[in-house]
This record gives sequence, structure tokens and C-alpha cells, in this order.
Amino acid sequence: MDAVTAVAEIKNLRVEIDGRAIVDGVDLRVLPGTVTALVGASGSGKTTTGLALLGEYPAGALVSGDVRAPDGLVGYVPQHPAAVLNPARRVGALLRDVARAQVRHLPRRERRTALRERVLRALALARLPDAETMLRRYPHQLSGGQQQRVVLAQALLLGAEVVVADEPTTGQDPSTKRGIVEQFAALAREGIAVVLLSHDLDVVRALADEVLVMRDGHVVESAPPERLWRAPRHPWTAELLASGSGATRVEPVSEGATTLEVGPLTARHGRTAVLRLPGLTLHPGACLAVVGRSGSGKTTLGRCLAGLHRHHDGEVLLDGVPLPRSLRDRTRQQLAAVQYVFQDARAAFDEHRPVLHQVARTAVRLRGAAEPDALAEALTTLAALGLAEDLVRRRPGALSGGELQRAALARALLARPRVLICDEITSGLDTVTRKGILDTLAALVRDRGDLSLVLITHDPATAALAGRVVVLDAGEPVEEEAPARRVMTGA
Amino acid sequence: MKSRFALGAVVAGVPLALALVGPWVAGGPGPRAASFTLGGGHPLGTDFVGRDVWDQVLLGGRSVVLVALAATAVAYLVAFPLGVVSALTHRAWLEELLMRPLDVLLAVPSLLMILLVAAVLTPGAAGLALLVALVNIPDAARIVRAAAAEAASRPAVEALRMQGETWWRTAVGYVGRCLTRTLVADAGVRLTGVLYLVATAAFLGVGVEPDAADWAVMVDRNRTGLFVQPWAVVVPALLIVALTMGVNLLADAGLEKRRRTWTP
Repeated sequence: MDAVTAVAEIKNLRVEIDGRAIVDGVDLRVLPGTVTALVGASGSGKTTTGLALLGEYPAGALVSGDVRAPDGLVGYVPQHPAAVLNPARRVGALLRDVARAQVRHLPRRERRTALRERVLRALALARLPDAETMLRRYPHQLSGGQQQRVVLAQALLLGAEVVVADEPTTGQDPSTKRGIVEQFAALAREGIAVVLLSHDLDVVRALADEVLVMRDGHVVESAPPERLWRAPRHPWTAELLASGSGATRVEPVSEGATTLEVGPLTARHGRTAVLRLPGLTLHPGACLAVVGRSGSGKTTLGRCLAGLHRHHDGEVLLDGVPLPRSLRDRTRQQLAAVQYVFQDARAAFDEHRPVLHQVARTAVRLRGAAEPDALAEALTTLAALGLAEDLVRRRPGALSGGELQRAALARALLARPRVLICDEITSGLDTVTRKGILDTLAALVRDRGDLSLVLITHDPATAALAGRVVVLDAGEPVEEEAPARRVMTGA
Repeated sequence: MKSRFALGAVVAGVPLALALVGPWVAGGPGPRAASFTLGGGHPLGTDFVGRDVWDQVLLGGRSVVLVALAATAVAYLVAFPLGVVSALTHRAWLEELLMRPLDVLLAVPSLLMILLVAAVLTPGAAGLALLVALVNIPDAARIVRAAAAEAASRPAVEALRMQGETWWRTAVGYVGRCLTRTLVADAGVRLTGVLYLVATAAFLGVGVEPDAADWAVMVDRNRTGLFVQPWAVVVPALLIVALTMGVNLLADAGLEKRRRTWTP
């Protein structure tokens, strides 16, 4: 291996924010034509290491160590590719802008043909089929996978020798995932070095030539995937690899009593009806999964229950008493009884205040607890979810996505809710964190007895926790409250 | 960043100090000399009625600066609650009730309104401050509302409501705090506009006597002698410019984000 010169190299990298090292002593050698994967829980420093290859660091970071990378020849494919594509310009224009700089040395009349040639070659290399129609589309007319390939084509047009891909398969369905794997494999065959930041272990196993397992900013183990899966040397690696299996299922305790009952309900966004539900019943101790593609109305259903979406004409009954449609009109008891955990945990926290104080406010406001008691209770709940005191005394900016999601869960739990609605809380999390959160939820339902869960998800592993599943398509339930096992294997 | 802060502090500090401390330092009205002369015991010469320009500069800042600062403060004091309440309410009629009347006010040219009211009421300095504040409320409220509406639609606000958080903590503690950057930037520009309006009003004789010691009035009255005795125009004009520039530099410096540090 050492005979090949590394195209990019990181030596003893340390990145520190506010005295907390998020990456410490990381070494990385990227060889041409290979796929190097960085795996680990969220907050383990994968993205920070990957971005270091581009010379990018978080604001206010103290950086030490050596980073050697071909100047300007490192491409980056972010997790949300739409964010880096100008929505007002067609794909063709976006690609030609990049290519124009490359043909400047040619005589004026040859530029046009050369430009076209380069764009088409990059599209072929990025495996975007039907190039002619693609070039005329706007970014929002492309699927997530196609947007990703356009970003990749931009990087290839620049002549990138290294491509850093951040969670390219997160939130994609299995067939799209296979396409993405194939695409990066083809890229590596072209002699380009791929650095894959992922917590999708199946993808890593299929693609990577070398896997670096990261934890708390350190590389705990690095090996080719065959060796790693056969004989992991570090206990953390073993735990990470074992966590792919599903969580324990929650079965409803009793079918007799009813916590939440929803009558026929039609929810609207403006004039358009986005959800038509004939009815829904939630028993104490039950776990209901609401699955469906994006745009199927599953989030709207959760928001109707929580009182966050008041444009509907149905009735939501809690213990037989109708709940006001808007949560502004709900009493403290009603607010506490139905709690909602948001998909985007970072956006759901006030970035100016320490996490602990925000979490504790639930107990103060909804249960009338005194400030010190609320803080103590918040600390206990957070600790049970694996968040240490010195971490939660910081502001949300210092916590990773997975850590914030657990803090958001703690914030809702402090209300001692009867119904907990979780909107995609495990999407974008690595397998270890996801399994941890699912196990916590299962344990909660088991211990509390009267708590009911509504899991809004498109992730089969998360839906597997539920006793029953409602499948929504275009706002209507297609398989109402079918047994979970059948739906998930059928889909 | 530090240097810009220091520069802003100096540039804004000189006219502010002159305006606030000046009246105590200035001597009593001395004997009048000939109009528009240079020298003769007057460091900046004499003005159109033969008064000492330096004394007039010391005396004339307080009205301009205080009226401008008061007008800006009053404008925000009214605009902030209006904007935040209409951004956070889900009742369309309440928002209409709060914002529509302001749109009418917005349609009237500000100087025309000041002149009209002045023709009827002859306001003093306090009246002028209120008038200028009034014409600034509509656009300040619109900016507050627009910025607050963006912050109010974030999941963080829904999460606060889910926690049963008080209106005050949601509106002021979170939304208000999110507005700080926008409002600081706006305040810098707005103070400039207000100073301009106050100076123009004084220039046109609204709220001040025609021979009052006032920087804006000085610029107006001493124009006739500009080529004989420039200091009587240049010094007060420069002080007004320095005040607006300095305040904007300070606002910019306050907004500057902490840059990442790099230690190789």
C-alpha cells in the first residue's frame, strides 16, 4: 500500500471548540482509486475530519496538525445537496458555470464544443442518465439522488481528485441506495479517491477499501471491512457493528382502555386537503408507527394531534374529552399529556440558552415544579439518556445532532406525557444512537405503562418497534392499523 | 474588529460629547462682533449675527442629538411590541388591526407630515421628537414584524409553546433575541435617517427658533457667508456627519461575528 502515494493526507489533526476537542489525533491517508470510509456515532468527528480535507473548519475552532490535500481539487457532496445548488438556475447553467473556467485557454470558437463535451462527460461519470433532459431542469425538479449526482458532476468538472461524500445514503430508499453505492464504486474505478462519511454500515461494507472507526474524535480502529466485520479488535467497533439489528417490539398492554381517539379528520394546507383519516385509536402502552413517503401527510397527522396544525375539521379526544385544535388554547394538563418531539432537533432549541435550562422549563411550566427541582430532574432524565452534565450545560451549538435529539426527548419526557409523538427522530442518526434511542423508548413504554407512542418514520428499523402501523399514501391510509410485521416485510 | 470599534467610538464620541457636555462648558453670551469675521479672539470666527461660532457649536448640539436619539428610541419602543405581537399572533384580524393603520401613515411623505403638523401646532423640541418618531414607526414596525415572523415560524417557537412557555419569554426571550442583529443594523441606518429629518426640520424652522443655537440651524443661516467664513457651516455639518458615521461604524462592529482563529 505504501508504494502508492497518497493523494491527500491528514496527520495528527486536532480541532477544538470552546475547550472541547471534537477531533483529536486523527491520521488519514487517502489513496487514489480507493474508498476510505469514516464511521462512528453522530458527534464522533466524522464530518469535521472530512471537511478538514477541504480546508474548512467550524467557526471559532482551534486547529492543529497537518492537512495536505490537492489545492482546489477536493470535491464535497453534502448531506443535503439541494442546499448547494442555486434554485433559480437550470442544471445545465450550473454545470457550464463551473466548466467555463476550464476552457478559458482554448480559442474562442472551440470553447462552446469543448464546454459541452466536458459537461456531458462529467454527467456520464456521475452516472446521470438522460443528460439532455437533465440539463434543462431546475434543481427542485430533481430527486435527492439526482441532485447529489449534479453536485458530484460539478466536483468532477473541476477535476477533483478526492471526493468527500457526507452521508450520501441517509434518508434514501433501498433501491436508490444501491444506485449510490454503484455510483461511488464507479468513481473509484476511475482513479478518484472517495472519502465516505457514513453511519450506514451496509453501504460502508459494500464500498469501502479501508474503514476508520471513530469515537469521541479519536480513530479507535482502522482496517479493511472484511477484517473489521470478521474480527473487530476494539469493543466499540463490535458494539457498532452489532447495533444494526432491530429493537425490541412494544406490544400494547391492554386493548380495552383508550388514551387518544381521533374521529374522522380532514387536514388542510390552505385549500388543499393533505390528510383524510377515517379515525384512529391509541391504547395506553401501545406504540403506533405512521409510515409513508415524504408528502404522504404523516407529519401533518402528528402535528394535528399535538395541536401544531389547527386547520383540520376532526376531533381529537383525550380520555373522551375533546382537545382544543390549537395548542395555544390547551390547558397545562392537556399540553403535558400530548408531547411532540421535532424532527429537526437543532432548530427546535433556542441557540442562545444552555440546553439544560431549556429542558428543565418543561417541568417548571407544565408541572409547576420549583426551579432547582426541575433542574435536578432534568439532569437525571438527561443522564439516563446518556447526556453528561458538563455537556448539557452548554448551548445547543456545542452538541451534535444525535445529542440534541436525546435532549429534545428529555424535554418532552419531563412533562410526563401520556402520548408522545416522535417525528422522524431517528432519521439522520447513526445505528448506535438510533438503537439507543429506540431502546430507551421501548423501556419507557414498558416502565410507565400508560405512555403511548406515535412514531412517524420512514425507517423500517424504527417502525419495527411499533405494535401497529398505519401506512399513509397521498394523505389517505392505505393499510389501516395492520400488524407491523406484514407491512414492513411487504414494503 | 477592535480597531473598527475604536474608530466608531471616537468618531461618534466627539460630536456626542460636544453635544451633551457643550452647554455647560460654553461661556455666557459674549459681546457681539461683526458678522462673518475670522480671528479676533474667536477661534472659529463669528456667525451671521456676530456670535462666537465655537460657543454656538458647544450650545447647538444638544437639541439635535437628543431629539434624534429620543425619536429613534420612541420609534422602536412602539414598533417593537407592534411588530412582535402581529408576528406571533395567529389571529389575522389582530394583525390587520395593528399593521394596516401604519400602512396609511407610511403612504404620507414624512417631511410633508412634519411640516403640516408644525403649521398647525408649532411643536417644541419634545413635540418634534414625537413627530419624527411617529413617521418612523411604520417602517420600523414592518422590519420588526418581518424579522419576527421568520423567527416565530421556527420549530423552536413551537417547542416553547409545547412547553407551555409564557408569552413574554417566547416573544422577548426568544423571538426578540433573534431580532437583535437585524434591529442593531436597522437602528444604525434609522438614526441616520432621523438625524437627517431632525436637521431638515430645524433647517426649515420647525421646532426651533430661527436664530437658535442648533447645528442644523447654523448650517442653514451661515450658508450666506460660506465663502467668507466657512467654519460656521463646515464645523456643525462635519459634526452631524461624524455622529451618523460613527454610530453606523459602532453598529457594524457590534455585528461583526467572531472569526475562527487559526494556530498552525
